Amino acid sequence: MADTKEVKAPDVGGDEVEVIEILVSKGDKLEAEDALITVESDKASMDIPAPFGGTIAEMKVSVGDKIKEGDLLALMEAAGDDSEDNAEEESADSSDEKSDDSSDDSDSDKKSEEPQEDTSKDEKKEKKKSSGGSKVIEVTVPDIGESGEVEIIEVLVSKGDEISAEDGLITLETDKATMDVPSPQAGTVESVEVSVGDKVKEGSLVLKLKVSDDSGAEDEADDDSDSKQAESEASQSQDSKDDKDDKDSKDQQGSKSDGDRKPPVPDHPLDKKGQAEGLAHASPAVRRVAREFGVDLNQVKGSGRKDRILKEDVQDYVKYELSRPKASAGAGYSKDGGGLQVIAPPKVDFSKFGEVELEPMSRIQKISGPNLHRNWVTIPHVTQFDEADITELEAFRKQENELQAKKKDGVKITPLVFIMKAVAKGLQEYPVFNSSLADDGEHLVMKKYINLGIAVDTPGGLVVPVIRDVDKKGIYELSEELLDVSARARDGKLKSADMQGGCFSISSLGGIGGTAFTPIVNAPDVAILGVSKSEMKPKWNGKDFDARLMLPLSLSYDHRVIDGAVAARFSVYLSNVLSDIRKLVL
Amino acid sequence: MSKDIKTQVVVLGAGPGGYSAAFRAADLGLDVVLVERYNTLGGVCLNVGCIPSKALLHLAKHIEDAKHMSAEGIEFSEPKIDLDKIRKHKEKVIGQLTGGLDQMSKMRKVKVVNGLGKFTSDTSLKVEGDDGETVINFENAIIAVGSQSIKLPFVPHDDDRIWDSTDALELPFIPDRMLVLGGGIIGLEMGCVYSALGSKVDVVEMTDQLVPPADKDIIKSFMKQISGKFDNIMLNTKAAKVEAKKDGIHVTFEGDKAPEKPVKYDAVLVAVGRAPNGGKIDADKAGVKVTDRGFIEVDKQLRTNVKNIFAIGDLVGQPMLAHKAVHEGHVAAEVISGQKHYFDPKVIPSIAYTDPELAWAGLTEKEAKEQGVEYEVSVFPWSASGRAIAQGATAGMTKLLFDKNNRIIGGATCGPNAGELLGEICLAIEMGCDAEDIALTIHAHPTLHESIGLAAEVQEGSITDMPNKKAKKKK
Repeated sequence: MADTKEVKAPDVGGDEVEVIEILVSKGDKLEAEDALITVESDKASMDIPAPFGGTIAEMKVSVGDKIKEGDLLALMEAAGDDSEDNAEEESADSSDEKSDDSSDDSDSDKKSEEPQEDTSKDEKKEKKKSSGGSKVIEVTVPDIGESGEVEIIEVLVSKGDEISAEDGLITLETDKATMDVPSPQAGTVESVEVSVGDKVKEGSLVLKLKVSDDSGAEDEADDDSDSKQAESEASQSQDSKDDKDDKDSKDQQGSKSDGDRKPPVPDHPLDKKGQAEGLAHASPAVRRVAREFGVDLNQVKGSGRKDRILKEDVQDYVKYELSRPKASAGAGYSKDGGGLQVIAPPKVDFSKFGEVELEPMSRIQKISGPNLHRNWVTIPHVTQFDEADITELEAFRKQENELQAKKKDGVKITPLVFIMKAVAKGLQEYPVFNSSLADDGEHLVMKKYINLGIAVDTPGGLVVPVIRDVDKKGIYELSEELLDVSARARDGKLKSADMQGGCFSISSLGGIGGTAFTPIVNAPDVAILGVSKSEMKPKWNGKDFDARLMLPLSLSYDHRVIDGAVAARFSVYLSNVLSDIRKLVL
Repeated sequence: MSKDIKTQVVVLGAGPGGYSAAFRAADLGLDVVLVERYNTLGGVCLNVGCIPSKALLHLAKHIEDAKHMSAEGIEFSEPKIDLDKIRKHKEKVIGQLTGGLDQMSKMRKVKVVNGLGKFTSDTSLKVEGDDGETVINFENAIIAVGSQSIKLPFVPHDDDRIWDSTDALELPFIPDRMLVLGGGIIGLEMGCVYSALGSKVDVVEMTDQLVPPADKDIIKSFMKQISGKFDNIMLNTKAAKVEAKKDGIHVTFEGDKAPEKPVKYDAVLVAVGRAPNGGKIDADKAGVKVTDRGFIEVDKQLRTNVKNIFAIGDLVGQPMLAHKAVHEGHVAAEVISGQKHYFDPKVIPSIAYTDPELAWAGLTEKEAKEQGVEYEVSVFPWSASGRAIAQGATAGMTKLLFDKNNRIIGGATCGPNAGELLGEICLAIEMGCDAEDIALTIHAHPTLHESIGLAAEVQEGSITDMPNKKAKKKK
């Protein structure tokens, strides 16, 4: 018998990542390091390679699953089926456990409690499925990474359809994305138990599937007579599983609720009157005053006995709100997304005016959109424009590159690396640019390290990998690192860890063009530098016009943290350093 | 010959809601016309409701009290009842109030147009009066046409011995046996009057308790005190057949307490509720939506679906109470005058002016449960009150509801003067008092209102006039 080994998810850089593509299927023969699946975190996508060679016995994940380090991805068989092979592999890779469903002796290294449980559960499920010759199984909604119910927007199969494993059965729409629920096995659809518009959650019954399973040693003879029994058994065990899953999903709900991102909802205090008013500790006369000014009494702190809200409190509240109209939205990052009191945009039926087509936004766009929106509305932005004279810098850089070109393993250096060094220098000189606003809105977190985020344009969308300790690295070291990270970003192989820990971001559009732009601060950073295309310009040197190569810089900053004068100084400092890179070593 | 009038505000209906709205609007500087179909202002409340019934209940209470004095050593002879004189007394009370209203509308320069008003558009109203037709062109209208007693299809309402509350208040005669159909506040009040005047009164109620909106425990106290006034209180029972025969009204019952044979009554009072009059004013011509049941839906500023037309009082929903209508009338007038006011009370008190009185305000336990509000109940039984014992009202009780922050959210009392005690509870709820505030307020001794302070002390665990459950817990 072939030795089946578990393939588990490696370190995926912290949080859960979503499986967006399955690159192999049952029976595929793989070499070590061949890609198994593609996963996507909130910052990038990457392939997970096979840790050893062999044949795929079974894929344990499907598209849309959320996985984390240690989760079971697949069962793989070694190429041969003799025990020697087995022993060999075991000795070669002792951290992999032997086989099947004993989860308690699974890998001991870098494993947490939870994944083990998942594993054992999955395997039990698997056992259930593989018992019985030809039988009807119930296909339920897998973990879709949503704590609540999601709507079915399309049913892709109907009764009698022959389907193979991983075929899409239904399409679900969550508030973040749509996803297909794949079939766990090949078979014939017995009945479809859902329809478009239904709300389902993990464990909900999708359809009944008649599967033929040759591995099942169970009596083929009484197949027919027992089919009903089998069905009921299956549904029974399904029920117990449902219970468990329910519990799981509830647990999940609890832990997830904080991290869930919700788009800002237009909100007006008068909308939720009634209920809320009853809770406020205010007498009728005070409630009347509050009504007149449209004040939500739940927002008002009472100064009377036992926090009773007095008329003066309502007046003070109104005065305060008028004098600091942005106070509520601007204090840190308000949990409710800022509570913008705006009207909804008009709904336009574009198809009235000509042909249109609905195209989904990329996953990265969908994920980064709410973040950009939050940053745009919650951070008071100011953008400072400047130009740096990089004539000398470019001359030096070209000279260096010529020398490098002659070398065997020379690295080409780009202007960006100099900008990074200059920024690092600037952050040391003006540490407020290397800070973050504390949650209480009253402190600054000053960072003693200098990590720079570099915006990289990739086919999947914009990602921002982080280069660490820029102040401690040389131009060539940085160049190599930058090349490596950009290449990985374009290949979708960045880990989330590669995109964490930045202090300040640089967005360079110099390779494309433009004279200036207003980048959005990448919270919790407090500033971002935009770089546009350099251009030869006439500059007055006191007697004549000199042709100088000028680099446009656009520095956006959080005005709550940084004063205009400081920003201007920082900007001038950057220009000066770039104009005379000897200053980098001072 | 039709007259044409132009006005800023027309108020349709001169009940408590209507005249309050009209007077408030006039005081806010608006030009107001008040339309009333009857010749006197004041509506049901003043003419055939709250006020005359209280005049009669006042008399009834004295008859009852005198009767009970014998146990304490004072014996009165049987009262002699002069119905004509009672009627005259009642009319005098009404006259005094409605006359006052006439005076006040003149003082405020509110023009009163008598006749039946109906909308002709969203800016005009036609009034058919005895002295011809008047067309009123208005900028704003407040509809306050109230409600009327519900008539039952199986009851021969034409018969003189079948009464609604208005008929009963006329005191046509004192029936030997009387049936009150419906165990609500109006039926019980009139039942008390006739019981005191010497009638044997039965009450039939479809649900399992009298005054269905009130909580069970307070009704238990109420039943203890009131059951002596009635011959037979039939709960979970309904009148299935009502036949007017020469010798009396024969009523067949169905349900838990139904007598086997039909019972003969000399009079039957039908008091099963009131229906709004929304369907009688051609509201559709003004574009105002009226529900199938005759209600007009309004927002918290009492505005109907038509921007310049408001509705207040019984028309806009339960509870159908004069004091609710008055406050709604004020808000509607204020909104028309440009003020940004809303009708958002925490309490609309309810009182049965029976003997004993039953009163409640804020949330009942029933409502708290429905709304999922966490609450605690503290009860002060009047058997522990010196004043109650002194005046023979030991079956009474005072009950307060507190939320989880110990803030008062509701209260109920039952006993003599319970309605008067309720004022303190209403104010406490509106002001957001907690149990401590009420307990620390010194209530005069010995009074009945003291029971409210003492109930709060029960909640606080500082009660000394009765065993302190909370003291036992702390060991």
